[in-house]
Amino acid sequence: MLELLSKKLDWVDVQYWFHIVNDLSLFYIILPFFTLELIRYAYLKRLNKDLILDTIANGITFGAFFVIEIILGLLAVTKIYFWIYQNFSLPHLELNWITIITCILLADFAYYWEHRMMHRVGIGWATHTVHHSSTHFNISVAYRFGPMDGISAILFSLPIVMLGFDPLLVLLSEIFVLTFQALLHTEIIGKLTKPVEFIFNTPSHHRVHHGSNRQYWDKNYAGILIIWDRMLGTFEPEEEEVRYGISEPLQSNNPIKVFLHGIFRLFRKLKKVDGFKNKLLVFIKPPDWMPQNQDMVNAKSNG
Amino acid sequence: MKNSTLVFRSLAILIILAGTAHLVSYASPKHGIIQDSEVSADAYSNPKPSQEKTSNEVPETDYLEGNWKVNYSTEAFKGAVVYSIKKEGEAFHAYTYQYQDEQGNSEEADGAKTLTIKSFDGTTGKGMYTMKYEQEEYEIDCVIKRVDDNTFTLSYDYYGYSDVETWKRQ
Repeated sequence: MLELLSKKLDWVDVQYWFHIVNDLSLFYIILPFFTLELIRYAYLKRLNKDLILDTIANGITFGAFFVIEIILGLLAVTKIYFWIYQNFSLPHLELNWITIITCILLADFAYYWEHRMMHRVGIGWATHTVHHSSTHFNISVAYRFGPMDGISAILFSLPIVMLGFDPLLVLLSEIFVLTFQALLHTEIIGKLTKPVEFIFNTPSHHRVHHGSNRQYWDKNYAGILIIWDRMLGTFEPEEEEVRYGISEPLQSNNPIKVFLHGIFRLFRKLKKVDGFKNKLLVFIKPPDWMPQNQDMVNAKSNG
Repeated sequence: MKNSTLVFRSLAILIILAGTAHLVSYASPKHGIIQDSEVSADAYSNPKPSQEKTSNEVPETDYLEGNWKVNYSTEAFKGAVVYSIKKEGEAFHAYTYQYQDEQGNSEEADGAKTLTIKSFDGTTGKGMYTMKYEQEEYEIDCVIKRVDDNTFTLSYDYYGYSDVETWKRQ
C-alpha cells in the first residue's frame, strides 16, 4: 500500500485527472445539476424574475472575479509561488499519491482559515459579503464572488508551498476544494447519512453557513471536511429553517451593486468612524466591530 | 474556544499532514530507483525483482550504453556535450564526459550525473533529466525514444518549457 501511495507519478497524468475533476465537472455535474434545480424551482412555482436576475448577477460577478483571478493567478503562481518554492521551502516533495492527498487536505485546511478570516476581518467581509448576499441558494450562488476573493487565498496557500509542495499542485488542490464546495450550494439534497455528515461538509452544513438566522452566523466554514469546524469550535448543525442572505439585505440584482456593495459599505463605515487608528481597525477587526464611544448601528451584515 | 487552543490544534494538523508527506517522500526510493546505498536497508524491496532481472537481461536495453553527443545552440551554450551512459543497477545514468565548442575544441567535463533513465524497453523509456538554469538545478521528467541504432531523442516539458534533444552515438 505504502509503495503504491509513494510511487512517483507523472505530471501529465496528474494534470489530466485534475482537469477532468476541476474543469470538466462544469459540464458533467454543475450545469446538469443547475438545470435540475431550475426544473425544481419551476415545479415549486419559485422560478420568478428575481431568481433569474439573481442568477444572471451571479454569472456576471463570476466573470469579473475570473478576470481579476487570472491576473492575480498569473502573478502569484508564476512569480511569488515559485520564488517562495525555490527560496523558502522545505525539501521539495516528489509527486505521488500521498503528496496529492496531503496537499488537498492542507489546501482544505487553508481554505477553512481563509474563509474564517473572510468572515471575521472587516476587509475580508467587504468582499465575501457578495457571496452571501443572495437570498437564494442554488449552485449558481457558488459562483457569486467578490472582487478580492482571490487575494487572501494566495496568502493562505503560501505556507503550503513553503512546506515543500509544488505550487502547481497547491493551485490545483485549491481549485479542487472550490469545485467540491460549489456542489454544496443546493436545497435539493437534504441531510446525508450520519458518518458522511460527521466527516464531510454537506449541503446541509453549508446551508447553515449561508443562513442569516442569528445562531447560524459565522459557522461551518469548511470546504471539504467539516471536521475542521468540529475541531476548531465553529460547527453548527442545521435545525431551524435557514433564511438565506445577509442581515442588511442588498435588495438589488444590479451586478455592479452586487459585486461592489461590500466595498461601498466598508467605505461608508470608514467615513463614520473617527480617528486614524479606528479607521485602520475597521479593516482588521470583525465586521460588526465599532469603537466603543461611537453610537453606531451594527454594521455586520452577516450571512 | 481559546486562541491558544486554536493555534495548537492548527499547528498539530499542519505538522501531521505535512509530516506524513515528508516522511513518505523520505522513506520512498528516490524517483523509483533503489540507490546502491539504500539497497542494504531493504526498506523498499521491489515486488517484481524477477521481472526487472529479466529486463536487465534483454540486450536491447544495453543499446543505451556508450558515449553520446548532443548539440546545443542556446544563449547559455553553443557547442556540443558528449555524455557517457553507464548501466548501474537497474537504471542507466548519463554523465557529462566532454564539452566541445563550435570550433571543435574539446575540454574534459566534470562527470556530473545529468540523466537517469529509469525504464527503457529497447524502444521507449522514461527518465529524470537534471537541468541548470540561473544557478538553480531542476530535475524534470523526460521521455526517451529510439530513432535508430545510433540515435535517440530525449524530450521534456517543464511547466510549458519544452524541448527535444537528439542524442547521437559517438
